[in-house]
Amino acid sequence: MYFQKKRCIAMLLAGGQGSRLKVLTENTAKPAVPFGGKYRIIDFPLSNCVNSGIDTVGILTQYQPLELNEYIGNGQPWGLNKTHSCAQVLPPYERHDKKSGWYKGTANAIYQNIDFIERYDPEYVVILSGDHIYKMDYAAMVAYHEQHNASCTIAVRNVPLKEASRFGFLNTNPDNSIYEFEEKPKVPKSTNASMGIYVFNWKVLREALINDEENPESSNDFGKNIIPTLLNAGHKMMAYTFDGYWKDVGTIDSLWEANMDLLGKEPAFNIRDDERSKIYARNSALPSSYIDSGAKVVGSFIAEGSDIYGTIRHSIISVGCTVGEGALVEDSVVMPGVVIAPGAIVRHAILGENSRIGRNTVVGGAFGAKDKMKISVTSKGAVLEDNTVLLPGDMR
Amino acid sequence: MNVMGIIFTNDANLGELTNTRTTASIPFGGRYRQVDFHLSNMAAAGIRHIGIISRHNYQSLMNHIGSGEEWGLELEEGGLEFLTPYAMSATDIYRGKLDALHSVMGFLQFGHDDEYVVMADSAVLCNIDMTKILQSHAESGKDITIVTKAGIANGSKPLDLALKLDAKGEICDIAVDYEASSEYLASMDIFVLSKKFLKEKVREFIARNLFHMDRDLVLGLWQKGEITINVYQFEGVALYNDTVEEYFRNNLLLIDSSVRGDLFGANHPVYTKVRDRVPTYYGESCEIDDSIVADGCVLEGSVKDSVLFRDVRVCEGAQVERCVVMNDTTIGEGAEIRYAILDKDITVRPGAKLIGTQKNPIIVKRGETV
Repeated sequence: MYFQKKRCIAMLLAGGQGSRLKVLTENTAKPAVPFGGKYRIIDFPLSNCVNSGIDTVGILTQYQPLELNEYIGNGQPWGLNKTHSCAQVLPPYERHDKKSGWYKGTANAIYQNIDFIERYDPEYVVILSGDHIYKMDYAAMVAYHEQHNASCTIAVRNVPLKEASRFGFLNTNPDNSIYEFEEKPKVPKSTNASMGIYVFNWKVLREALINDEENPESSNDFGKNIIPTLLNAGHKMMAYTFDGYWKDVGTIDSLWEANMDLLGKEPAFNIRDDERSKIYARNSALPSSYIDSGAKVVGSFIAEGSDIYGTIRHSIISVGCTVGEGALVEDSVVMPGVVIAPGAIVRHAILGENSRIGRNTVVGGAFGAKDKMKISVTSKGAVLEDNTVLLPGDMR
Repeated sequence: MNVMGIIFTNDANLGELTNTRTTASIPFGGRYRQVDFHLSNMAAAGIRHIGIISRHNYQSLMNHIGSGEEWGLELEEGGLEFLTPYAMSATDIYRGKLDALHSVMGFLQFGHDDEYVVMADSAVLCNIDMTKILQSHAESGKDITIVTKAGIANGSKPLDLALKLDAKGEICDIAVDYEASSEYLASMDIFVLSKKFLKEKVREFIARNLFHMDRDLVLGLWQKGEITINVYQFEGVALYNDTVEEYFRNNLLLIDSSVRGDLFGANHPVYTKVRDRVPTYYGESCEIDDSIVADGCVLEGSVKDSVLFRDVRVCEGAQVERCVVMNDTTIGEGAEIRYAILDKDITVRPGAKLIGTQKNPIIVKRGETV
């Protein structure tokens, strides 16, 4: 079989469990979690690839991959199903030399798929995470990498100091070259947090992966092992500053916030008005939505195939939902296929796919801007009986 | 059962709406084109070889259907074929369905395994299980099956083909292009025949300068007792978009949840070209009542009893009532529009007023500024 040589391909790490999303990732890998009414989280990095002219994407899956695999399918929704383009799902596998098995870490996942990458003989490999919400032109980052003749370029963004403990930090010289990497420091020296987006010269990365695999001490992780090792070996590494919207949606609170960021006249994350970088998603083939005369909808997103009879305020209603008469949905994320019975009240909640909220049932409650967030969550397919209560911050 | 499908795409003239497009590519119901219904019906019945016969104006139709991948019809073998005048043996536009079929004999020859042919038009919209029609046809042993609908004939609507049954269920009258009274069944312009029979008849009729399917083949042969007809009565929703008035009314009928449920959910999903729009944003000041809204819209004004297609903007203070608004249209601040069909890409200036009637909705042509 003939494989076209590619200047650049992408490898998307989509195997993480996403345990901090709790009931939402019980049976689903995090990248397959619904987002923004009609998308899944993985649509963002995948669409970014397509919009950046990257047409070959390896998707590394491990945790609960069924739904994610089905969703990606042959890559058709993203146009990645052509003769020389692909969205290839790469699960762990058994190899003749036993150097395989479950992906031990992010670097090991790429290591086990060196053969896949080699087929395309790429100059550059972009490493991406399947759990970030953002729009980014990777082509610009690769051009920057090329211009600076770097071995590795890492996307960084400024984060507030209070969030420092969640990120790895890159300390840079005035020319943006990196001289130090600090993983989750108590007090970082800079505010340049790594976004977990890397461009590597494939030859350099290939060698680093093989060496890393030989080291029994290594946890085979990009942040912990590969980056510090390359830095110590004196490779030229550049920081690429990204100042657009970006959110790691690894927690219930951040997932809720990122959804809310889509709303408003001037949304924090505007995906409405950009023709050139559309986010593509697998289509659900549902008819247009219906808004009844008894309905009141303000400041909200409503995706297709939903029937709205109740009141919706400042919320995301995904494809194929029904909101009954007299029901109230406020400051909430309602995932696909949810049915909210008449008279139910849902506030500050994330309702998992196909949940059923009974008549006059109350889910969650309001909290002030300064209070600790208490998002109530229902799991996929959860059924809340009529006249019951799910307290703020509770999960079912 | 090996079956091939044929869809005719230029059957109804809807004035300005069909000036630059086929009947098949008229937008309908917020996100569809009329052809989506029969393409989805055929695809759901496992028909994998479909010819789309167009006379003129087919550019928008080809753009919409593409390779047919949305319907699962982008196949190595069979799949979709566009049969446009220059792709046919005759370079003239055709004079009737039989003439059109004659000019695509090559297509009919091609799928030699196909035993039956299902033919449909683009003006009647329904979600129908075609496997049941095919089964009924095969069991009947008749030459042709005509799919019909009761309750459409009303004495004033001209019907392409109307059939009357006697108490025993036998056909006692057939009329063509006729305002049949309510006891007649209206043809839904869906026919099933064996390919062999169809090819034979097309050759015989063209040789005698007869071109009209309903008049010459069905009525003519029935009067001479030379054709046996199986009448299949469809129970579901069938929307006849033969005139602008009907088209307008049928769009607004989707507000009725039973019509919507039947048309989009009775048997299978209705597929259409994916446009990857964002969900619709409902602003702080919008007031939406009894309306069908597609994705990609931004709504700030008031909308009542209307159908909005994709990417429609209704600005603050605008009022839209009983309208069909096609995609990429912007309705400016404070504009007032009632009883109107706004074709694609229209700009309604702030404060503009457009008021039609239920019988005569105002039609604003594609791309205009009013």
